[in-house]
Amino acid sequence: MTKIIYGIKMYFIFFKASLKEMLIYRLDCIVGMVSQIVTQLVELIFIWVVFQNTQSISGWNFMQILLLYGITLISIGISDLCFDELYQIGPEYIKEGEFDKILLRPVHPLLSIIGASREFTALGHLLLGVIFTIIMLIKLAIPITFILILKIIFFSIVGAAIIGAILTIFSIASFWTYRANEVMWSFYKIYTFTQYPIDIYNKFIKILITIVLPYAFVAYFPTLNYLGINYNMIYLSIVVAIVLWVIAIKVWNWALSKYRSTGS
Amino acid sequence: MLNSLLMLGKMQFRQYSIYKSNFYLFTLNRIVEIVVYIFVWQEIYKETGEAGGFTIAQMITYYILVFTLSSLATWGVNEEMSYSIKNGKINKELINPLSYFQYYFGINLGELAFALLVGIATFILCSIFWSVSLPANIINLILFVIVIILGIPITFFLQMIVGITGFYTNSIWGMQILRKSVISIFSGIIAPITLFPNWFQSLANILPFQELIYTPINIWLGQMPLKEAIFIIIKQIIWGIILYIIAKKFFNHAIKKITINGG
Amino acid sequence: MSIIEVKDLVKTYKIIEKEDGLRGYVKNLIKPKYKEFTAVNKINFNIKKGELVGYIGENGAGKSTTIKMLTGILTPTSGKVIVDGIEPYKKRIENNKKIGAVFGQKTQLWWDLPVIESFRLIKQMYKIPEGEYRKNLKNFTEILELSDLLEKQVKNLSLGQKMRCEIAATFLHNPQIVYLDEPTIGLDVFVKENIRQFIKNVNKQKNTTVILTTHDLKDIEDVCERIILLDKGNIIYDGEKQKFKDIYGKSAIAEFIVENKTSLIKNNINIRELKIIEETDTNLKVKFSHTETTIINIVEEISKYCKIIDIHMKEAELEDILKEIYKGAHTNVK
Repeated sequence: MTKIIYGIKMYFIFFKASLKEMLIYRLDCIVGMVSQIVTQLVELIFIWVVFQNTQSISGWNFMQILLLYGITLISIGISDLCFDELYQIGPEYIKEGEFDKILLRPVHPLLSIIGASREFTALGHLLLGVIFTIIMLIKLAIPITFILILKIIFFSIVGAAIIGAILTIFSIASFWTYRANEVMWSFYKIYTFTQYPIDIYNKFIKILITIVLPYAFVAYFPTLNYLGINYNMIYLSIVVAIVLWVIAIKVWNWALSKYRSTGS
Repeated sequence: MLNSLLMLGKMQFRQYSIYKSNFYLFTLNRIVEIVVYIFVWQEIYKETGEAGGFTIAQMITYYILVFTLSSLATWGVNEEMSYSIKNGKINKELINPLSYFQYYFGINLGELAFALLVGIATFILCSIFWSVSLPANIINLILFVIVIILGIPITFFLQMIVGITGFYTNSIWGMQILRKSVISIFSGIIAPITLFPNWFQSLANILPFQELIYTPINIWLGQMPLKEAIFIIIKQIIWGIILYIIAKKFFNHAIKKITINGG
Repeated sequence: MSIIEVKDLVKTYKIIEKEDGLRGYVKNLIKPKYKEFTAVNKINFNIKKGELVGYIGENGAGKSTTIKMLTGILTPTSGKVIVDGIEPYKKRIENNKKIGAVFGQKTQLWWDLPVIESFRLIKQMYKIPEGEYRKNLKNFTEILELSDLLEKQVKNLSLGQKMRCEIAATFLHNPQIVYLDEPTIGLDVFVKENIRQFIKNVNKQKNTTVILTTHDLKDIEDVCERIILLDKGNIIYDGEKQKFKDIYGKSAIAEFIVENKTSLIKNNINIRELKIIEETDTNLKVKFSHTETTIINIVEEISKYCKIIDIHMKEAELEDILKEIYKGAHTNVK
């Protein structure tokens, strides 16, 4: 237990340090946030164009799709904020020799790296996500109760944890190639599937996003609960997050030991 | 000089192809996007049967061609430039006997060659799963290629402009996303331009981006009157010159400002 | 005939004043404060063709800034640089054909490709004639011991191997002038020695002008004939190495471990040009001049007041010598 508390404390120390570092580059930060929002514009424009031509996609109307979109953005925002540094293991840490220094620290290297995440531009995602979620909840006349808010916050964090675990698993590619960030990004991007009702896809894709890379548990199943379509699948998200993290840590430690025995 | 540029391109290409996984992953990414778009549209066509003058078959071909061409339209030298500025490799690039623009144009050629390879692989794989319509006739195919080639200087100078901002800020990551997003929106990557409102269509008509994706695809599908081709080509050349002048002026300003690792 | 002329060269930077604490960072975000900083302050020197010049100074003295102006990467705030008849920052590409440069550990070699491919690209870019390229490649491969490295991917090379290849790449097109900014930083003794030999060799064969900045005095000792010394943007010494060595060789530091000290040695000892840097009950650090006294003499003196257990001799650090010369330069000028 004390080990976990120590770990969390160290995490926040790293986090504060990277916050300072980020503030130095103010222009980057502002441009970064704006560009995050502009990227989302691309997706939004597509949804908008689609609904110019139809009333619903597999029973979902415009606002329901936007709610799903908002909920997804919140989780994506949190995960970008907390796990972004995983992308740098290959190109920055291992290539530039920083990784060996991290191995000398008295904390688990995975924690050191995750703690150094400073993608504060992800706040753009988070903000946009929160705005969309609130507006759509109101428009859909879903009562915003205290319980609902707690539920959304909790399951958004669970969703971010699911994404983080998937990223962690694929980040082990960094131990073999410096360009692992591209591998990670490819598998991260698969979440795109879950921005629409999964009923539109064929069986193969359904299995992919619920079992192989269970992104559907990030926002899709939680949104089903908020919309009152399916109440129970949301709770499976917790199980999925825990199982994924157990796998992620096991896999990561295995890869690390491989890396240590072969050296760089 | 041309030989140097080609050699730079060749080396950049080889540097890429050392990581074969890149190739598969990039192709995979494109296919994921195509699948999402196609499934969403199929769902819509179930109800409507028609959208923006496109049949479902044309729409499927449209998106497959979008992602065949999208890497050509969005890839380039941004990241390479910013990385060099950050880590000081820029010093070595500035003492080359090639100008900064020439050097990066060479590198860009390598990037584009790889983008083309990914595009072709995407196209071939997709034509296994879906039926893709072929070009209306040989003239259309030739025009398709010409318009795409004339797009290269446009995307390159845009890359340079964004890359040069790296002289002023620590990371061009934000600018780069901005560039990609603007291209995605105005080139027709998201959806055929005809599906957008009129004001948007007129804006897209002025900007140089729809010639990267939407126009060549329309030429391929035989939906564009061929006599318009000459105007398209003139527009592309004018935009190429405008962007070249902006990039060059911007570089001349930036080069005076550099304070990289002064010690 | 000078190949490089530097006249009243000045470079000033605007830098953001950083404040501490999270509040300071936020303040910085909203309204940064700038201050001006002079990196190079009106310096003058000429370098003749074929000279081997050591350009030295402490960190932040303005060495790299000068080198970057000489190569044309930076434009001077005022003053002028003329390299072989042209101002490099005005005609960068023309100048680039004649020069080569190494900047620290930054390499121009292509990370994922075999070394030889980068060499071929250089051959192509500089239009090196086939015969010349082969001759140089053979010659360099021999001196720098590259034969096993040429077919290896750059990412698989050690730092020393990479630097040897980088040096070869820099000289491949027979540049008239080569700027070496910290070429030996972080390398082991053997590689350093190898690189020094190479520089001297090429200089002798091709009359290449070499300007070298370094923190390693041995580099200067072995390679350079002339030294330009920079301090806070000003040249404080410009002259032959021999003179530099005279001053360099003069002073040394000795550290004694002692016990049973009877009194403060500082108050009792009296030897010309000897300074006590540090004195505790068990430790004594002195600086002395070889020309004025010998170590035996000092030991004799000190042992009057305590028992000496151990002695360590230390070469003077670069910083000490810089200070020494700094003092000398002032008196010389007057």
